[in-house]
Amino acid sequence: MAISNDEVRLMIEASLPGATVEVVDETGTQDHLRATVAAPQFEGLSRIEQHKLVKQAVQTRFDDGSIHALSIKTSVPE
Amino acid sequence: MEPTLKDKVEELIRENPVLLFMKGTPEQPQCGFSMRVVQVLENYGVEYGAVDVLPALQPLREVTAEISDWQTFPQLYVNGELVGGADIVEEMDESGELAGLLGVEQPERPAMSAKQELKADDPQQSPPIQIER
Repeated sequence: MAISNDEVRLMIEASLPGATVEVVDETGTQDHLRATVAAPQFEGLSRIEQHKLVKQAVQTRFDDGSIHALSIKTSVPE
Repeated sequence: MEPTLKDKVEELIRENPVLLFMKGTPEQPQCGFSMRVVQVLENYGVEYGAVDVLPALQPLREVTAEISDWQTFPQLYVNGELVGGADIVEEMDESGELAGLLGVEQPERPAMSAKQELKADDPQQSPPIQIER
C-alpha cells in the first residue's frame, strides 16, 4: 500500500500548523519519501526532537506499512 | 537479578562516548542508512562502538523506543545522548555541528574513491559489540 505525497504533506501540516512542507517520492514507488519541513514549532528544539514531531505526524502510516522510509530535513523558518 | 536487554543497552550508551546502533557491521553494513553514518564517522577518524541490531531487531526497537523514544536504526549516540539517524548525522556533518559535538576538527570531505580506499586499509574502528538476547 502506498501513500500520496499530498497526503503526507497534509498530515504534517495538520500536525504542525503554520509549517511549510514539501514531500517528494525518492524512489518512484511512493513508499520511500523525503519531507522538507520548516515549522515555527521547531524553534529551540534539537534536531532529533524536530524529527520526532514530523515522524509523529505520519506515524499511523508507518504503522500500517504505507511508508517504509521517510527522510526528513527540518529547519526553523526565518 | 539478570540484567535486562535495556540495562545492557543503557550500559553500552553510558560506556561508549560514541556509539552507533546499526544494521550490519562497519565492515559490512546491511542498510544504506547505516552505511552513510559509518562513512561520516570514518571520515572523522573518531573511535566508536558499533552494535549490530539485526540479531535482535525487534527487542532493540522496543528498548530504544523506551530509552530515547526512537525505534528506527541507525541511531548514533554521543556522550549518552541520541543524536539521530542518517539524515541528522549528515546534516550535522555538513553544518559543522557534528565536529563540535565530537570535539574534533571538521575533516576534509574526501572524494568517494578516496573514502573507499580509506575504508579498505584503515582498521581504526573498534570491533562490533555483541548483544545477546
